[in-house]
Amino acid sequence: MSFLELIRENGVYLVVAMGKTLELTFLSLVFASVIGLFFGLLNVSKAKILHTIANIYIDCIRGVPLIVLAFFVYFGIPMATGVRLSALTAGIISLSLNAGAYMAEIFRAGIQSIDKGQMEAARSLGLPYSTAMRRVVLPQAIKTMIPSIINQFIITLKDTSILSVIGFPELVKAGQIVIARNFETFKMWAIIAVMYLIVITTLSKIARALERRVSYGK
Amino acid sequence: MENNMDNRAVKIDVTGLRKSFGHLEVLKGMDVQIREGEVVCLIGPSGSGKSTFLRCLNHLEKVTAGKVVVDGYDLTDRKININKVRENIGMVFQHFNLFPNLNVIENIMLAPVELKKMTKDEARKRGMELLKTVGLEEKAEVYPNNLSGGQKQRVAIARALAMNPDIMLFDEPTSALDPEMVGEVLEVMQNLAKEGMTMVVVTHEMGFAREVASRVIFMDEGVIVEEGTPQEVLLNPKQPRTIDFLNKVL
Repeated sequence: MSFLELIRENGVYLVVAMGKTLELTFLSLVFASVIGLFFGLLNVSKAKILHTIANIYIDCIRGVPLIVLAFFVYFGIPMATGVRLSALTAGIISLSLNAGAYMAEIFRAGIQSIDKGQMEAARSLGLPYSTAMRRVVLPQAIKTMIPSIINQFIITLKDTSILSVIGFPELVKAGQIVIARNFETFKMWAIIAVMYLIVITTLSKIARALERRVSYGK
Repeated sequence: MENNMDNRAVKIDVTGLRKSFGHLEVLKGMDVQIREGEVVCLIGPSGSGKSTFLRCLNHLEKVTAGKVVVDGYDLTDRKININKVRENIGMVFQHFNLFPNLNVIENIMLAPVELKKMTKDEARKRGMELLKTVGLEEKAEVYPNNLSGGQKQRVAIARALAMNPDIMLFDEPTSALDPEMVGEVLEVMQNLAKEGMTMVVVTHEMGFAREVASRVIFMDEGVIVEEGTPQEVLLNPKQPRTIDFLNKVL
């Protein structure tokens, strides 16, 4: 079969799978941002205990491969608790926990990149730490974090492919299913690679345009 | 003049203040009383502890030993609500520290609105009044990055005044400015002094100290070496260290 025929035959199926990939990426990154913000804030806190808690989380997650985490969540937890998770739920949990650790580091670095004088000025006005963080430090930190967040988005998008191992019908899994039927291994993987390439390149272009738009005073 | 001062309420009462950073002792026992309406200028060589002293007055630095009582609140008491005390103490920094993510009027409105001292409309009105007094009403919607240094510092002063503080702390407010912008900031400060604001100013501007200060404190190596009226300290210094310092800067 030619490339065109393969695309005509499997295009819709693959695009739907890409949609699922993006859905999984997007949802995971939303949760990862919440997790990352939480542990990032713990990490910049002056209290040593909070700092330690954040570091334990980050070290544990970074020290375990995503595929092990996914197996643990999808197969391990139901065994131990009897609660069955759908592949989507397990996928989101694994990816969120994983990306959350990296997002925590991104938040920490972002917050620490903001001049100490900003926090001091806000506190000197009588604002509590939390308000100063929310209104003054975080908005500036997030701006500096945008390139790293884009980068994390791309990494997470690629990491979704690992979830093919728990049967989630994202793009790689979809490709395997198609290849099992038509044995067009070379062409199919080429098509899939190009699909990832197009989506990731487009996303990073959009994100970069966004990044330019949020510069202050423009 | 001095006798009149003695009847006024003590706003800042510092006794035996010590501050260390690790093994380095920066303040080695300071006693200072500042009364309502006084303008106290702190002068001295860099590294003498002037800024650290100032930052102890609103608890940006934690006091190592001694007592700092501001407006009747003992800042060394862990139970006090430091945010409440700070509402009453404005601070102006060397590097302005305006919030670049907010425009000028938002910078000024932030604290009064967040702390529910004013509604948004009241805060905006008050903010515009303050901008008028510092001569920058037309810059209300501009972002800090598009202001000159002198303009930034005047906005910073307006921002600090928005909470209607009783005390204003100035930490080398003109040191980061181009020379031609120093005057506009000093003028705002001078007007503030005339209105009776209690001010503590860390400065290298001897002219300002001579004209505006009710008292000058010369510090060196974490202690007060000499204090008195500007005439006493700046024109007739008695301590060798003061004389030496003044010879270098004047």
